[in-house]
Amino acid sequence: MACQPGTLPYRRRRSDRLRLLLLIPGSERLMIISTNWLGEYVRWDSPVDELVRRLLMSGLNHEATWEVGADTAVDIEVTSNRPDCLGHVGVAREVAVLFDRPLHIPDPRPVEAAEPASSAIAVEIVDPDVCPHYTARVIRGVRVGKSPAWLADRLRTIGIEPVNNVVDVTNYVMMECGQPLHAFDLAKVRGGRISVRRARDGETFRAINHKDYALTAGMAVIADAEGPVALAGVMGGAESEIAADTVDVLLESAQFAPLVVRAAARGLVLMSASSYRFERGPDPAAVDWASRRAAALIQELAGGEVLSGVVEAGSLAGGRATIDLRAARVEEVLGVPVSAGRQAEILTGLGFVKEAACSERCRWKAPSWRRDVTREIDLVEEIARIEGYDKVPEDRPIHAKPVEQSARERTIRVAGEVLVAAGMCEAMTRSVVSEAFEATASPWTARPPRRVSPALVRGADRLRRTLLPSLLEACGHNRAVGAPHGDLFEVARAYLDRDGGTGNASPLEEPLLVSLVTGGAYAKAKGLAEGVVRRLGGAVVFRRGAFDLFTPGRAAEIVLERAQAEPVRVGVVGEVAHGVLSRFGLEGPVSAAELRLDLLEISGSQPRKLVPPSEFPAVQRDLNLVVDQGLAWAELERAIRGTPGVESVLEGIALEQVWEDAERLGAGKKSLVVGLRLRSQTGTISSDDSKRLVDGIVASCGKACGAVLRG
Amino acid sequence: MGTVSLESFRADVERLRAEAVAAFAAAADEAGLEQARVEFAGARSGRLKAIQKLLGGLDGADRPEAGRLFNEAKGTITASLDAAQARLSGAAAEAAAIDVTLPGEPFRLGHVHPITQTIRRVQEIMARLGFESVDGPEVEDQWHNFEALAIGAEHPARDPLDNFYLAVAKGADPLLLRSQTSTVQIRVMEQRKPPLRIVSLGRVYRPDTADATHYPMFHQVEGLLVEPGATMADLKGVLRFLASSFLGGDVHVRFRPSFFPFTEPSVEFDMEWGGRWVEMGGAGMVDPAVLAAVGYDPAEVSGFAFGLGVERIAARRYGVADIRDFYRNDVRFLEQF
Repeated sequence: MACQPGTLPYRRRRSDRLRLLLLIPGSERLMIISTNWLGEYVRWDSPVDELVRRLLMSGLNHEATWEVGADTAVDIEVTSNRPDCLGHVGVAREVAVLFDRPLHIPDPRPVEAAEPASSAIAVEIVDPDVCPHYTARVIRGVRVGKSPAWLADRLRTIGIEPVNNVVDVTNYVMMECGQPLHAFDLAKVRGGRISVRRARDGETFRAINHKDYALTAGMAVIADAEGPVALAGVMGGAESEIAADTVDVLLESAQFAPLVVRAAARGLVLMSASSYRFERGPDPAAVDWASRRAAALIQELAGGEVLSGVVEAGSLAGGRATIDLRAARVEEVLGVPVSAGRQAEILTGLGFVKEAACSERCRWKAPSWRRDVTREIDLVEEIARIEGYDKVPEDRPIHAKPVEQSARERTIRVAGEVLVAAGMCEAMTRSVVSEAFEATASPWTARPPRRVSPALVRGADRLRRTLLPSLLEACGHNRAVGAPHGDLFEVARAYLDRDGGTGNASPLEEPLLVSLVTGGAYAKAKGLAEGVVRRLGGAVVFRRGAFDLFTPGRAAEIVLERAQAEPVRVGVVGEVAHGVLSRFGLEGPVSAAELRLDLLEISGSQPRKLVPPSEFPAVQRDLNLVVDQGLAWAELERAIRGTPGVESVLEGIALEQVWEDAERLGAGKKSLVVGLRLRSQTGTISSDDSKRLVDGIVASCGKACGAVLRG
Repeated sequence: MGTVSLESFRADVERLRAEAVAAFAAAADEAGLEQARVEFAGARSGRLKAIQKLLGGLDGADRPEAGRLFNEAKGTITASLDAAQARLSGAAAEAAAIDVTLPGEPFRLGHVHPITQTIRRVQEIMARLGFESVDGPEVEDQWHNFEALAIGAEHPARDPLDNFYLAVAKGADPLLLRSQTSTVQIRVMEQRKPPLRIVSLGRVYRPDTADATHYPMFHQVEGLLVEPGATMADLKGVLRFLASSFLGGDVHVRFRPSFFPFTEPSVEFDMEWGGRWVEMGGAGMVDPAVLAAVGYDPAEVSGFAFGLGVERIAARRYGVADIRDFYRNDVRFLEQF
């Protein structure tokens, strides 16, 4: 697989492959080598497997190898910094260095007629920012026909279907040196004049694929006197393509700005082997070489007369970097020495030129095809990859260092431990959700969700402000497939638009949430939320609240009481409303809660200090208190805890039973059976003591809540 | 003169012993045995106790022998009582026996997501080497996601089709969902001075059609070390430590050259897993330009960074063929980890 999730980014993106595959059949293979063809420049005397392995270990990843007739095709992956390896010559140069073999590169010299090319064509660059250098060569009197077998076979090996001898030569030379070329039928270039310029908004163009494209000023065209004849760097035009009756050929070899080519290729969804190369920037010096090479080959295969010289506009762009390399630097980076002699051997083999005799510090001039190499560290990498990373030792000792777990990390783990102990499964759901999920209000903000483009998956383009709908959906999935349960929790962020957006603060706030969804009524989710909060050491109160997702009257906000600040909402809990449940294929009761872990973060790194368990026996007392139906439990509990002398001995308080009976209790009343466990740190609670405490509790409940002790 | 002769004492003891042993042996149930126990061995008024009282009536010279006789008889009676008790409780146990193969009382244990488990495993291993876990925002600006990482304006990685850009007001700075957790490394480096050892982890986002090996949202763990004199050998050593700790045994690590804008040299690293080389992630020496961008002096410190795709490792570790399963949240899946 070319690029799976999680590799550091931007080697080659899988999406490039996919897009190309969709657009140009067979084009998912961006650089295929024919071993026969490669053998024209270098001999390596090893099986293909060994060739592939050496290339792999020096930076050209291997995708696949297969036989094509008597030839072998090797699909390699070329990183975006190495456009020189998007042609056979570049790969051959690597092979020559790796196997220490001589490299033979032809020096093509077409036989030129006396008539200058400039008598047939004029060239002008109108917008130099889109095209720094353009050359045109003219070949008159060609006989367009089939390519000879050697050429057609090599193209087939690398997956290019032969067209005719002129077009095939341009493809061949592109795949030889990485410089894309284009051949026009000179007779179809109107006005004898080529101008390279930005497209005009609204201008249209019919490409070789016979589709019409509407252009924009972000793209560049090759135009004749009347209009565009090619989309610069991307594709030629249908009008001027080489056809069986073509007699005179205009051969373009040029440099185009990568961004302009990319804008056109992506904007029109029209990617080609040519645009792929121009986006990465071929060797500027190859403009001339490729032109000569193609002219010589056309002359050889299709006959004709090559006019003298080229018509040129602009100039060879891009100076060659000079870089100082300290021999000792290599070991400083790699951790293993490479001799100065070996360093020089490698760099020389790759085409770098040493400027003068030197020892400890050498000045090198980079070859024109290696514009990615501009700094000392780049030279170190060249030496390292050719010398081989297997030379870097893997057993250098590394010293340990103390490290502390962050408060946030501990908080996340503690929250998860509580919920796992309670039988919940941890879920992971998408951060970007559909409009339907975000239709209900968030507990955390009144501002609408932010949107992203493209959608994460179909229809999901909103950054979520709560995790609850996602968990409900997952819960519904479990229901639908008949899973044992659908009790889930998730720890993730929400994305809230910050009000106003002041100063340097990020425009979004990303609170860390833990959310849970469980079968059962309100008390189920509340118990879980309480468990998490208690374990994190927070003191919270529950206040009735209204939230879109929850049944009215059966939801609460969870409020954290803070020592030196205003109370703050840190959570919501409730029974999920019927309308919401049915949307997710669920039946009630289902309850849910969401907590702000960022606000409940465990503070400080001091472990809790022990409170020794009392050695004295506990006293259990059950009180049956009759109160108004509307009385909140929290009020009664506050009254009990607030009774003088109680707090220090109240070990446990539990609501054992609630019942209502208009006949026996009276209308509008309810009975609460409250279990109290009393225990002192300092002595046994006598029956007198416990009676006094219970009497006090009853009195204070009566006073604060109108409670009456029953029977 | 004693009131009791040794001979009559011996006879009494022997009779008592014989009767007690017979009574205990004859007891048919625990109630009968208890009755016999009270009769013979009762602490207050048992017959054994009564005989013990006779010891006082013996001649001083006979007492040692009488004491021996008594103790011997007492031992026999106690042993016979124990045996009878054991016999009867065995029967009771048999009557009360249960089918020990019946199912235990069910209780439900929750499960931590396998992605979380994988992340924690890597965190724990890296913590042994002093790498601190850090996190940062998922919505990022262009500086942290691109520029500080030497991904220039012209780099194809910034293409709108290859990122999840947020809709922003006209003229506002572009924002996007981070495409790697290196953003966090930049943020930490901007705030702290070297030496530095951190692992940044969390969700990252890249447009990709979801299939068995791709998902547009996934998790990364990235390590960063910045110290004077750090080398690629240190990087390899750390990765081998990670690989060996994670996979168990002595695992080898292999570097292949690669290209990332923010490291130089850049490599892909493979680990030997199940007898073959498995591509694990990208790594390299932090590019001097990146160090300079956060205000570090590349002449003073060097560093290395590496990144792992969590889904890929977890998928391989747990035999998950389709990484979309990690996000289906099917309890039948989650309960297996």
